[in-house]
Amino acid sequence: MNSPMTSTVSTAAKAPAQPVPAQAVRCAPPWRAPLLLLIAGLAACALFPDQLGLITRIFIAGLFVLSLDLVVGVAGLATLGHAALFGLGAYAAGIFALQVHADPLLGLGVGSAAGALTALVSGAFLLRYQGFTFLMLTVAVSQIVLSLVQKARDWTGGDDGLSGFAMAPLLGRFEFDLEGRVGAGYALAVLVLMFYAAQRLVQSPFGLAVRGIHENRARMAALGTPVFRRLWLLYTVAGALAGAAGALSAQTNAVVGTDSLSFALSAEALVMLILGGAGQLTGALVGATVFTLLHHTAASINPYHWLFVVGGLLMLVVFVPPTRAWAWLRRRAGGLQ
Amino acid sequence: MNPSRRTLARALIAASGLALAGAPALAQGAAVKVGVIGPFSGPFAHYGALFKAGVEAYVASQGGKLAGKDIEFIYRDTGGPNPGQTKTLVQELIVKDKVDYLGGFVFTPNALAVAPLIQQSRTPTVVFNAATSAITEKSEYFLRTSYTLWQVTVPLAQWAAQQNMKKVVTAVTDYGPGIDAEAAFKSEFVKQGGTVVESIRMPIATTDFGPFVQRIKASGAQAVYTFLPGGPPNLGFVKAYNENGLAKAGVQFLGTAETDEFDLQKFGDSALGLTTAFHYSGAHDSPENRKFVDALKKRDPAAVANYASVGAWDGMYVIHKMIEATDGRKDGAKALAAARTLQWESPRGPVRIDAKTRHITQNVYLRKVERAGGQLVNKEQQSFGPQTDFGLGK
Amino acid sequence: MNTLFNILIDGLAYGMVLFVIAVGLSVTLGLMRFVNLSHGAFAMVGGYCAAWLTREAQWSFWLAVPLAIAATALLGALLEALVLRHLYRRKELDQVLFTIGLSFVLIATTNAIAGPQVQLITLPPLLAGSVDLGFRTLPAQRLLVIGAGLAVAAAAAWTVTRTRFGVWLRAAVDHSGTAAALGIPIRSVQCASFAAGAALAGFGGILGAELMPLEPYYALKYLVLVLVVVAVGGMGSIAGSLVAAVLLGTIETASRYLASGWGSLFFFVAMAALLAWRPNGLLKR
Repeated sequence: MNSPMTSTVSTAAKAPAQPVPAQAVRCAPPWRAPLLLLIAGLAACALFPDQLGLITRIFIAGLFVLSLDLVVGVAGLATLGHAALFGLGAYAAGIFALQVHADPLLGLGVGSAAGALTALVSGAFLLRYQGFTFLMLTVAVSQIVLSLVQKARDWTGGDDGLSGFAMAPLLGRFEFDLEGRVGAGYALAVLVLMFYAAQRLVQSPFGLAVRGIHENRARMAALGTPVFRRLWLLYTVAGALAGAAGALSAQTNAVVGTDSLSFALSAEALVMLILGGAGQLTGALVGATVFTLLHHTAASINPYHWLFVVGGLLMLVVFVPPTRAWAWLRRRAGGLQ
Repeated sequence: MNPSRRTLARALIAASGLALAGAPALAQGAAVKVGVIGPFSGPFAHYGALFKAGVEAYVASQGGKLAGKDIEFIYRDTGGPNPGQTKTLVQELIVKDKVDYLGGFVFTPNALAVAPLIQQSRTPTVVFNAATSAITEKSEYFLRTSYTLWQVTVPLAQWAAQQNMKKVVTAVTDYGPGIDAEAAFKSEFVKQGGTVVESIRMPIATTDFGPFVQRIKASGAQAVYTFLPGGPPNLGFVKAYNENGLAKAGVQFLGTAETDEFDLQKFGDSALGLTTAFHYSGAHDSPENRKFVDALKKRDPAAVANYASVGAWDGMYVIHKMIEATDGRKDGAKALAAARTLQWESPRGPVRIDAKTRHITQNVYLRKVERAGGQLVNKEQQSFGPQTDFGLGK
Repeated sequence: MNTLFNILIDGLAYGMVLFVIAVGLSVTLGLMRFVNLSHGAFAMVGGYCAAWLTREAQWSFWLAVPLAIAATALLGALLEALVLRHLYRRKELDQVLFTIGLSFVLIATTNAIAGPQVQLITLPPLLAGSVDLGFRTLPAQRLLVIGAGLAVAAAAAWTVTRTRFGVWLRAAVDHSGTAAALGIPIRSVQCASFAAGAALAGFGGILGAELMPLEPYYALKYLVLVLVVVAVGGMGSIAGSLVAAVLLGTIETASRYLASGWGSLFFFVAMAALLAWRPNGLLKR
């Protein structure tokens, strides 16, 4: 099939040295990025054993922003209410530990399920809308959840937060220690596994369908894709990830506050995502890391004026888009096509 | 564009690496490290500034060293009620910076969040502000030099009953200390034979207190007992009380921290006559208080002598005595044992640390706002005598 | 009955403040499709200018307020002409990010200049007192708020329907390409509307200083409320913003009177219901 074409083209252009095989596009194996993440995470823990609390926060933020990337970057649904999923996961895990059983893995399951269930229920209503309307409705849902949690003082501690629960040893053996070693390892393991799962999801036919819906909803509908069902499923999966992040936060901190449901948290996560570059999952992790480190560093240098630094960075980043920069970096490094 | 982005990314990563690595460890000198946790940004940032002024003024007044040791303060910003972040910061202070003592804490959830950490690491922690009674029960390493709502409210309720008030409405902010305040007033006032006609709880995020003040008016009570966190909520409530004509309608104001010296001047003459019961007034007439105010002003002319700065000052006194008792070494149990026996004359009056509850026992005063020397002050009318934390053991 | 009157009056006052702040954002969103999350910062700047002028510079309230509004308009115009108009073609997320960054910088600047405490605007004796309406005593300032809000609504409606600028504005909102082709100076219309929106936001910040205290985080704290009013009222619709603001303001006030333990639940439930019913705005189909 190619021969007649190459013979006509070759007079004008250089012919390729050898015939290009059919599978021209080389994809990275799906376990590569999670493995790199694992190595990077372990290295961070080993190099900075005094700051495992901060590193754990970065892992948890990374998982949360990853879940947001699925919704915003992959599915194209800008949301400012994602903290509701995170916060409910945190509260569910905390209440479970306090009232039922303090086993971390069970609590993680409970938190993740809570996030997924919330996404399932709210998604049924929210996903009927698009654009700015969808955005504002996500804000409404998240504020309604916050009000309900504040009202249910007996269960959640209201504005004082939920505290007083101590986690049982992980897998029955690893006690959550003061330095945070077990916490950091636990959070990293969960992050890596969920990152792998998210990658597989996004690269699967389902993920491609969702990307298609992002690019052109009408066309996908015309092709016969059940648009609503796809988005609903994706939103639920993202809810599961966000709930897991919330559960990790509750368990490693042994306290849950209403700040985990706040609009500020949703906005911060969105900022982290855009900073790192939405759509490629790795951008979520980069953005979460950079923003958290920046906030921490700037705040400890000067608590009054760190907003200058962060605000300035955000404005700068808009004029120097990260996705183009990463693509340029990759081309320079001569790696993936 | 792209090259500058790459440079920016590199710079950021480098900076982050440096930040994490931290400054090279100081020589193992005799400096005692004290971590101060509080809000240094956001609407409650004045607490952080006042804590800083209070602790540094104290050290300066002692000649720059406490028990012969240099003191190194490490300040960390919690923003607002943010228990997760507070826990991370305190964990870092304990594990990385290896602080010997902790001080500060404005919000109850933040204090509750760090209880397991300080218990496990045996770090004596002095609470400079957070006023919920239950905090000191969460860890035996908590000490408190501020106050609790039970402590200042019980005598106020008794006084109100003595003034022949029969019907009072309570209006508090819906969080730990506020609920303590409501419970304390209700229990004592009812014990004295009065009735609480309505208990209004105001969400912590409220900025417009008009509706609540209207409800107070409609309740038919003779007085309103109130508690709100310091800063914008205090200001808003007192303004609403004045602007909606409550005083003229015959509803007396029974407050606690609302006439805080920090915002007091902003009310103008409309604040004259407001009655409060509290443990510290900037106008307290004693040589100790004058010394405190002078030291504070010398350190930071903008600082105000109020319950936050005096909480920090007295907190540093307790830390000073603990350093003395342990000779600058980190020994939580010994420090705590010494702290439990403390008794001294503070700028607020005679105080002591209760050996059992680790909370400060102090005089509570009845005050009215008056004008003195062109400024509005909380003039102490009478002292209710030493009060303990009635909220414990409930 | 008393409670009902109270709710209506307080709700109307609160709604008017929200309307005055939100109307500028609504027009900007409808006109330029530009997501300006730094709109709250304009309200803050207006309030801070008025506070500084009345308190520190001891100017009369009646002089300070117009000057503060003018200063905010100038800031808006400068920002629009120099910086923001480059972002009109960018993706919405980029606009969100940039304007949030801008808000952060404005918050930090305000904190650095004026400190973190609440700023009070010194009211003239006419407004500082209370007005006794018989069944309740109302701070005189609230009456000013209600009156000013109605005046702004009337002025905005008049401008949009009866002046040439209003015609240009409506044409540009409907289809800026055609409007430009017909010779309407789109750039000027955009800059002027943005400046007007900023000015109104500043005015709203001044009017609302009693209800929404002026402190550095003001810019982001009340942003959600303003966005809600814009969304429910419909982008670009002034009448829609008015109805949405008053309706939601009254619901919020009612819940404070009747069910304060539930926080802002009813506000957001009402908002979600209204938005679900009329996704494009209350008065649009």
